[in-house]
Amino acid sequence: MLKSIIRKEILHNLLSYKFSIITILSTILILVSIFVMYRDYCLALDNYEILQQETEGAIAVIRPTPLSIFANGLEENLCRSYEPGFVGSIDVSSKQQSVNDLFKLFTTPDLLYVVKVILSLCAMLFAFDIICGEKEIGTLRQSLSNSLKRPILIFGKWAGGFTSFILPFFIAVLLGTIFVTLSPTLDMNPKNWLKLGLFLLSSVVYLAVFFSLGLLISCLTHRSSTSLVFSLFVWAILVFLIPNLGNILAHQSAKIPTVQNLELKRWQSGYKISFERDKQEDSKDDNSKSQEILRRVERIKLEREKLTEEYRNRLNSLIRTSKNITRFSPAAAFACLATDITGTGMLEERRLKRAVVEYMDFIYEDWDWGDDEKNNPPAFSYQRSSIREVLGPEGLSSCLILILFNILFLTGAHVAFLRYDVR
Amino acid sequence: MLKTIIAREFLDNILNLRFIIGLVLCIIITIACIVILTHDYQQKITDYNLRINAEDDFISNYATSFVNLDFSSYTSLHRIIHPQKPPERFRPLIIGIPGKEELESFDDNPLPVIFPPFDFLFIVTIIMSLLAILFSHDTITGERQSGTLRLAISNSISRTTILFGKFIGGSASLLIPFILALLVGVIYVSVNPSIKWDGSAWAEFGLLTAASITFITLFYLLGLMVSTFSRYSSTSILNCLFLWVLLILVIPNVCPYISAQLYRIPSIQETKRKERETELLSIEVGKKLMKENVKQYRIKYGTLFAEFESMEFGGISSFFLGSNPSPEHREAARQRAEADPDFKVMVDAFRKEPIKVIREVERIRNEFDNRVWKDLYRKAAVQTKLAKNLACISPLANFVYVARDLTGTGLRSLKYFEKTQAEYKGQLRSYVRFKMREERKKNTKVRRESLVDFSDRPRFVFKEEALKDKLIEVLPYWGILVLFNVVFFVAAFAVFMRYDVR
Repeated sequence: MLKSIIRKEILHNLLSYKFSIITILSTILILVSIFVMYRDYCLALDNYEILQQETEGAIAVIRPTPLSIFANGLEENLCRSYEPGFVGSIDVSSKQQSVNDLFKLFTTPDLLYVVKVILSLCAMLFAFDIICGEKEIGTLRQSLSNSLKRPILIFGKWAGGFTSFILPFFIAVLLGTIFVTLSPTLDMNPKNWLKLGLFLLSSVVYLAVFFSLGLLISCLTHRSSTSLVFSLFVWAILVFLIPNLGNILAHQSAKIPTVQNLELKRWQSGYKISFERDKQEDSKDDNSKSQEILRRVERIKLEREKLTEEYRNRLNSLIRTSKNITRFSPAAAFACLATDITGTGMLEERRLKRAVVEYMDFIYEDWDWGDDEKNNPPAFSYQRSSIREVLGPEGLSSCLILILFNILFLTGAHVAFLRYDVR
Repeated sequence: MLKTIIAREFLDNILNLRFIIGLVLCIIITIACIVILTHDYQQKITDYNLRINAEDDFISNYATSFVNLDFSSYTSLHRIIHPQKPPERFRPLIIGIPGKEELESFDDNPLPVIFPPFDFLFIVTIIMSLLAILFSHDTITGERQSGTLRLAISNSISRTTILFGKFIGGSASLLIPFILALLVGVIYVSVNPSIKWDGSAWAEFGLLTAASITFITLFYLLGLMVSTFSRYSSTSILNCLFLWVLLILVIPNVCPYISAQLYRIPSIQETKRKERETELLSIEVGKKLMKENVKQYRIKYGTLFAEFESMEFGGISSFFLGSNPSPEHREAARQRAEADPDFKVMVDAFRKEPIKVIREVERIRNEFDNRVWKDLYRKAAVQTKLAKNLACISPLANFVYVARDLTGTGLRSLKYFEKTQAEYKGQLRSYVRFKMREERKKNTKVRRESLVDFSDRPRFVFKEEALKDKLIEVLPYWGILVLFNVVFFVAAFAVFMRYDVR
């Protein structure tokens, strides 16, 4: 019986107008997104090649990952170059996008965005009338008048509906992936393929959350129009409101000075150090004065280090708080998980910055430049997170949250359907 | 009859579940948004004041008219003062675009990239547009399916009156949640002591509300138009959502990338690499010129110049000469110049040479700036304009331009700040020249590296751009929004005239 229900649901969906419009929309979007982001990746690769040609001085730069085509995340930030700057600071190069101001106004249209925002809406549109729609046309009453058990019916509907929804997604992603992998510039190693597989798997789990939620709402309402209104509002709250509001709320709890404040103070202390050193040059012969200046320089340096360390600690705490608050939304949990899997997320950003700070500390404190300043330091080397690191406590908790949401919504739908008045 | 249709449509909508949900959602979200952002605004104001105090403190302890930074470049006062941008006065409603300083810091905050900001713009562009579509998608199809449209048409009411009445009644009921939520927000803003809005700010707020209403009615009309094109509400809502996704979520986000592909600009990294090469080249040129100068002075002045060389060029500080200031040598050269007029003539003439060399070095660098950087920024401006124009297909992009530029939270505001900053630095340069002349009159020993009291310097005060200028900028985009309204209404009207009501 289960098979018949699944088959009927798939056939019913395949022949519906809804299926045609959602398939067209998702296919166009996914292909456009992959193409656009592929071209963007090529530009990032060109920039990397240019930065690699820099042979003088200490420069930290990492190669763009091909997975940024699918989830761009913080890739633009990660692929900037880091160099020793004014009196102990770290200079960051401009992003290529920084010259086109319009990038600041809008979001990156990568596959992550398509799945997180658009396909989640499509999933809800697929599921919002599964139960109440059948009730309205009277077929649900007929189905249940037979010896069909309610759990089998709802599970069959879920399985059939979700299969027919996810099929176009896979075909479109497959087409897009074939297109980009045929390109010689794309360097996809087995590790990247595995990560792409994990990303797609997490996308399926995420979309299943919204499909189950749509089903739950359908089981709680008796008219399709009511179900649609509720579905759309819940979608807007989960996808937009909680992640964005949670981020602002985290700012209120973890107070942090602005980055302008930090940069201004750091610049000023750099200037003070330079100023004092100048004075020390002038008073080389006066030992006590010279020692006093040196002490002042050390004090300024210490203050500066304390300022930076305090800021970084607060920023890390802010990121943690923000992640914890926003996890109440499956969209935020998915965004964190997907960007971490593709190596373009906050996990990677924190990791890279730690590595850059260590490298720069080595350059400032331990490296002997020699007299002619042509004694180049060792090149910066960095490996993006392995799958084991990605699936650490943070990644696993995001995975579990998504699975938990699925179980919660499916159980809710099951319970609601058991008591559903089919008349 | 029009009044009756408007009243009926209005009542029908406000008694509907979607109205209740819309109202509750709008009020809760708007209040939450304004309260949180106001708190954030207060923090930003405190941070801004801290920055201003830090700058004052720094200038009073460390300001000289010129300073040698990194032993290689001389910097004057205008380069060590960082004019601070105050938080935007509309920050309790709209989060501004981050400036260069925020984006190019090693310790930048990655959160806004992963979770884009939530503000008034989000409420209007996402929540209200979605609500508008939900209100209007079944305006015609719903009545056709329930059979009431046939009844209405069988009377002596013209189709134009029905359509017009439905539009006015429906839009009015849709705008109630929005206006109510906004009203609560306005009360909160006006009683909050940390927000001081003047007349122009309230005028801008009024215009922002008007632009928001234009945007919301646009989506109501889109739903109405799609409804006249469809036979069933279920088809109508799917078509509406398809268009909504395209207009709100796809087109604006894809356009900057498409423009970047259509109009390629030189790479920033490549340009920086070339800049570094030019810098090295200019230093080589500087050193070479200085060597030639020394050679010529040796020939011209002979032993007199050799004596001067033994004093390490009288302590002349020049990177190109490879010397640093030395008080003993300077004093020796000064005494020698006092005793011998010929020596003084030579020293005075030679003192001008490093300045000439620096000018030549700067000429080479400026030439590069004009040729390469300006070319890059010119091309980037063309690319941005192309992206901006392409995105105009989407009402969201037009509304974002209007709302941001009107409230000083957009790209125009950043450019305007850069302009006022440059003007201030110009003022500061003139002030320093004047101040140093005055100081030297009082005390002849004052040098450009001496600590000077600059407490009477002009202060940077950021004034908002005039409303008139902002309006000139936003009117074309607002016009496009109005045009969208007209097009959708005309299309709905044309189709409804032939609509089969059975």
